[in-house]
Amino acid sequence: MALIILLGFIVIPLIPLLHRWLGNQIGWVVSLLPFGLTLYFASYLGQISRTDKVLMATYEWVPSLGVNLSFRMDGLSLIFALTISGIGTLVFLYAGGYLKGDPNLGKFYVYLTFFMASMLGLVLANDILLLFVFWELTSIASYLLISYYHSEEASREAGKTALIVTGSGGLAMLAGLILLSIVTQTSTISDMFGQADAIQAHHLYIAILVLISLGAFAKSAQFPFHFWLPEAMEAPAPVSAFLHSATMVKAGIYLLARLHPILGGTAEWHWLITSIGGITMLVGGYLAWQQTDLKRILAYTTVSALGIITFLLGIGTKETIKAALLFFIVHAMYKAALFMVGGAIDHETGTRDIRGLGGLRSVMPITALGAALPALSMAGIPPLLGFFGKEVIYEGTQHADWAGLLTFAALLGNLFNVTAAGMVAIRPFWGELKATPHHAHEAPWMMWLGAVVLGIVSLGLGMVASAVLPLLQQGVEAVYGHEVGELHLGYAINLSLLLSLITLTGGIILYYGLEKLRPLVAPYDLGKRLGVAKGYHALMNGILKVANWEGRLIRHTHMRYYLLVIMGTLVITMGYVLISQARLGIDVKIGEIRFYEGVLALIIMIAAVAVTVAQSRLAAVTALGVVGFGVAIIFVLFGAPDLAMTQFAIEVLSVILFVLVLYRLPKFRTWKQRPSTTIRDAIFAGGVGLVMTVIVLAVISAPLNSRLTPYFAQASYVEAQGRNVVNVILVDFRGFDTMGEITVLAIAAIGVFGLLRLHEGKPLQRKIYRGFPSMILQTAIRYLVPILLLFSIFLLLRGHQEPGGGFVGGLVAAAAFALYGIAYDVAAARQALRVRPILVIASGLALAVASGLFSIPNNKTYMTSMWYDRNLPALGHVGTPFFFDVGVYLVVLGVMLLIIFNLAEQEETA
Amino acid sequence: MEVLLAIVIGVLYATGVYMILRRSLVKLILGLVLLGHATNLFIFTVGRLTHAAPPIMAEGEKVLLPPYSDPLPQALILTAIVIGFGVQAFAIVLLKRAYQTVKTDDFDTITVAH
Amino acid sequence: MNTLLVLPILVPFITAILCLFAWGHVVLQRWLSVTGTASLLVVGLMLLHTVNREGIQAIQIGSWAAPFGITVVVDLFSAIMVSITGLMGLLVVVYSLGSIDFERQRFGYYPLFCTLLMGVSGAFITGDLFNLYVWFEVLLISSFVLMALGGERRQLAGAIQYVVMNLISSSIFLAALGIVYSVTGTLNMADLALQIQQVQQPGIVTILAIMFLVAFGIKAAIFPLFFWLPASYDTPPIAVTAIFAALLTKVGVYALVRVFTLIFVQEMDGLREVMLASAALTMLVGVFGAASEYEFRRVLSFHIVSQIGYMLMGLALFTPLALAGTIYFLLHNILAKTNLFLISGVAQHLLGSYELKKMGGLYKSYPILGVLFLIPAFSLAGIPPLSGFWGKLLLVRAGLEIEQYLLVGVSLFVSIWTTYSMLKLWSEAFLKDSPQTDRPAQGLRQVGITLLLPIMILSLLTVLMGILAEPVVALTQRTASQLMNPSDYIQAVLKG
Repeated sequence: MALIILLGFIVIPLIPLLHRWLGNQIGWVVSLLPFGLTLYFASYLGQISRTDKVLMATYEWVPSLGVNLSFRMDGLSLIFALTISGIGTLVFLYAGGYLKGDPNLGKFYVYLTFFMASMLGLVLANDILLLFVFWELTSIASYLLISYYHSEEASREAGKTALIVTGSGGLAMLAGLILLSIVTQTSTISDMFGQADAIQAHHLYIAILVLISLGAFAKSAQFPFHFWLPEAMEAPAPVSAFLHSATMVKAGIYLLARLHPILGGTAEWHWLITSIGGITMLVGGYLAWQQTDLKRILAYTTVSALGIITFLLGIGTKETIKAALLFFIVHAMYKAALFMVGGAIDHETGTRDIRGLGGLRSVMPITALGAALPALSMAGIPPLLGFFGKEVIYEGTQHADWAGLLTFAALLGNLFNVTAAGMVAIRPFWGELKATPHHAHEAPWMMWLGAVVLGIVSLGLGMVASAVLPLLQQGVEAVYGHEVGELHLGYAINLSLLLSLITLTGGIILYYGLEKLRPLVAPYDLGKRLGVAKGYHALMNGILKVANWEGRLIRHTHMRYYLLVIMGTLVITMGYVLISQARLGIDVKIGEIRFYEGVLALIIMIAAVAVTVAQSRLAAVTALGVVGFGVAIIFVLFGAPDLAMTQFAIEVLSVILFVLVLYRLPKFRTWKQRPSTTIRDAIFAGGVGLVMTVIVLAVISAPLNSRLTPYFAQASYVEAQGRNVVNVILVDFRGFDTMGEITVLAIAAIGVFGLLRLHEGKPLQRKIYRGFPSMILQTAIRYLVPILLLFSIFLLLRGHQEPGGGFVGGLVAAAAFALYGIAYDVAAARQALRVRPILVIASGLALAVASGLFSIPNNKTYMTSMWYDRNLPALGHVGTPFFFDVGVYLVVLGVMLLIIFNLAEQEETA
Repeated sequence: MEVLLAIVIGVLYATGVYMILRRSLVKLILGLVLLGHATNLFIFTVGRLTHAAPPIMAEGEKVLLPPYSDPLPQALILTAIVIGFGVQAFAIVLLKRAYQTVKTDDFDTITVAH
Repeated sequence: MNTLLVLPILVPFITAILCLFAWGHVVLQRWLSVTGTASLLVVGLMLLHTVNREGIQAIQIGSWAAPFGITVVVDLFSAIMVSITGLMGLLVVVYSLGSIDFERQRFGYYPLFCTLLMGVSGAFITGDLFNLYVWFEVLLISSFVLMALGGERRQLAGAIQYVVMNLISSSIFLAALGIVYSVTGTLNMADLALQIQQVQQPGIVTILAIMFLVAFGIKAAIFPLFFWLPASYDTPPIAVTAIFAALLTKVGVYALVRVFTLIFVQEMDGLREVMLASAALTMLVGVFGAASEYEFRRVLSFHIVSQIGYMLMGLALFTPLALAGTIYFLLHNILAKTNLFLISGVAQHLLGSYELKKMGGLYKSYPILGVLFLIPAFSLAGIPPLSGFWGKLLLVRAGLEIEQYLLVGVSLFVSIWTTYSMLKLWSEAFLKDSPQTDRPAQGLRQVGITLLLPIMILSLLTVLMGILAEPVVALTQRTASQLMNPSDYIQAVLKG
């Protein structure tokens, strides 16, 4: 069964190919698919209607979430499946005529097939989440089909509206379905049937009911969501006939019917569903009556009909359920037929305005027949099936509670139907032939066949009404949830018949009074007064206004305010914790402060403040340098020589970099800022500072947890062969960090290189840098360079035992080449280096990576140090961490030279 | 001394934050550098200060004898300093390029889209 | 086996080094980076296979026992993330072959791309908090350079904001690391999970949790820390934006998930409300921002923010199902969002603009491109049975189970507006007629296979991940249960 249901999805890829081969002939070939499906479903008619059999098929899909490809065919499903495939066959054929010559016909059939497959899945699914999957797919198909004429803005917008409205409902429904599955611990529909009482007693019942109903209402165009359906009439006629009257819009009704045994029968169900259905029925009918566009009349009568069915399901007695299902069948047939007729008229005459149509029966006789039969059914005239459709409605409402009110409401709804039937089937065909944009003539057979067939079937079924009874019986029992006893359909003289007669007469009077009444009621135009569509668009626009406001705010707000927001977030949250949590336990003694430490701290603070108030770049950079050196001295004072050495070196480099780069920048500009801005920033800044100070105090009040340190003290020499523990950590214990660190340096240098050499996507030429050529300097440098290089190697070698190491060594070596460049020129320095700085970097990185690889053949983890077990002259005890440090040295050398050389040789663009 | 350093750290953070809230790109960079110093000093201070010897063994010893300062925060800060320098160097050149291309060092002009 | 665990770092690193040696030989670099990223994908899948079969794997770099050295540890979450990094690296590198201009290629695009992947993979597999900082810096500096490389005006403006935000994030992270070491004496994440419970001052732990939330939150672009993302993501070449969209914010999400499931589990009680609120607002501001935009890439950029909200939602809900939702969403989003960026690049290639007002007619001229777009677009909107639907289902169900109705409501509302945005893109760029009448439609073929192939693969994966959701859902659920029971992780790290 699953394969048959999914067959549509499988053949989709073939359709574009078919279109390429067959061109316009594709229509009847593709129609074989729904036709075959109709036969398939019809073959189960006997089994299901006579033997109470329910066909099930389940395949695992996403068992982790309890979602299965579970299908179930019972009376209700079969009624829907037959309607879908049967009307589908006729619509597929019809589309071949209607869209003949359209280059996108292939796409159209893809969408249509996609829809049909999804819709069949929907009505056959036995898993609420699977049902939801198909539910959404039908919405997507509907969107694609409504926006089929996508060059037209109206089509695109109508599609969007339909998808947003049904999609919103769908999401509410999803929440409802998930709640339902949480309550029932299953997502299989047939497993829920037994749990109705538990569900209805659950505190989430109302939420579930309302959420699921929202989805059903939106999909089935119930008030106040009904407005998307008339807008959807932008779609080609076959789409309106198939999706927007016969099948897709009935999905909501199907869902309500399907879940009736689970959720139905309560007062809440009754009130919610009946009242919404009733309102929809009346609003739809009233609005239909005011239209002059054929398709819009049909659309609003569809809304009304959907309202009637919902209304009947809401009442929920066996009579009304029977009425609902029968009316569903009746409506699907006549409405699809009338939409096809409407499309044919539009196609042949070029207009759909009933005021401009008349007398077409002489030129389009077969189409006229195709219109007449369904219209008679719609008006409920015997012996068409529509007569019974109306009879059972009255029968149902008479036997319900509040019978008078409900019957009267039904009567009103039906009345409009009679009028509308006249508007679409009499107006265009009778009377005098009117001139139309196209010269009207009979439509091709593909376009009248559907309407005629449906009309004849309505007639035939009306004559032998008992033929539908067995299937109807099964359908009603599936919805009602219990045995309902034998159903009957037949002529009888009773109140229902009287009501039918009143309906008919009233409808005819209304039809003839149409032209006179319309202007009278125009001022009370409900369509505009209710303005639900307007409300929807206003809501969307309102939300969009908020969105646009946000968008503008984000686009036009200076980044500084974002920084403020981030700082604010941090200060407020942390400040809140600091204040609210008295358990920070700050407990610090001021302790002794040595005099020079106090002075140093003071100098740093003054310099930091000086940076903020400095009026020139040079002053600011100098003050910043003081801060940096001050920090370095703190490192010296507290036993961190390696740190201090690095900090000094970096500080020197930073100052040089600043001077080199900022040299050509404009003077410090100070923008006039309101004092309030300055004060605000100062408060924020002060807040951050204060919070950080308090945190430091809080943290140092806690006992120090130095679990790792004794291990490093023990293992550094014994296991890692180094006396300088910091260096050992850097190249061995945590060498992995250092590998990342030198990578950062390398990338930064490549980035600087790229920035300096690529401008607006185009490469810049190198400028020749002359340096400061002077004999004395050159001579001095000539001696200095080798000494510096030797010193750098000395630093590198001793790093593992004494302060020093690859990083500082590399910096010194770079300084040597840089000096050389200053004394001669950069070209000469490049020559002295012999290889490009990038290759130096690459070699350094390669060496660093490779030094870690030695351990792998020895079956040790990456970067496990390996030592050569004898002392080498000059190098001493050699191991892989040494090579790693050489890698660091090379990377630092290459990085510095790449930056310095290119900065010196940069071409100025400003 | 820790208390004093805590205050120094607070001042460095405050001045750093104040500077990155200015309109001038140059000041922004200076602010970031100040924040970098603040963070390094922060780690150093919460890693506990001692006037103890550097964590380097004397010649001939096989284990590090207390008192010594904790080597791990030092190694971490060293890594952070170097990384910070790399990023900072890039940022400085980026700033220069931005100034040359956009012809302004007004942070507000540069950062408002379109 | 032992070595396999470091390969996610070494493979892209060595590739990058080889590319540096091949400086000036662009063709060689192209081959190297394609091979390198493909190898990373293979490594990721091998890790996934191993972890799936044998449980969490850990090695101690340099053989220094935890917590003294640095641990590399791969659980399912890490392995999944490394695999997807390899996949996205490979696809975007292929896309770059045909879309990145020659000058950028000449000035180090490929090695930078590889170091970016190195940093990302490193962040996913490290078991050490400071080492995580280092890999973050590697990926950040790579992304800085990639963002600025080329030196176009808009690029530089975007890069400055991006750099500044990340520097602030890094300094918060670094300060937090200082506190971590001071109060627990360790940096090893597994060890930290145990030690953090011994800390006598709960206030400090809360402060730490907030600092990590903010530091990683900036990278993940959550509310109210997201502003840098829409300001900068539309400035570099589209391949760069695509790989950023694929991986960078996701590293932030990964880090948040990691520290809050492993280390700050206790703090979740206090921060939960904050996270829930942030998740809701992240979703909303992102989707509203997208609704207001009429530039293809900017619409997509705002959606990154919005989708991060969903991921945060799963973390904030903090149930196994919700966490599975976060991980599923992460994967789905990487595939779909990257794909959309890549498609926007093709659209720009064909129409010469990213401005929706100047675009149009793509569906008529290139129907296949239309289908390739609809798949990730509808997936992002959560339309079943595409991948996004299952992510949404997991999160919504998780939220409803623990009665977070408001948040679920917001997430569904945002889902509608995501649909709205996707329809806007579809309607404007694909459906409406092209306003540029003078630009004749060319064949899709001239776009080139290097651009189309990655898109096709991603669309196919999005469909497969939806239709054959079971293995992925089951995997994310196992991953989530691993995360919710950190004892296995801790034991794997500290056992030897």
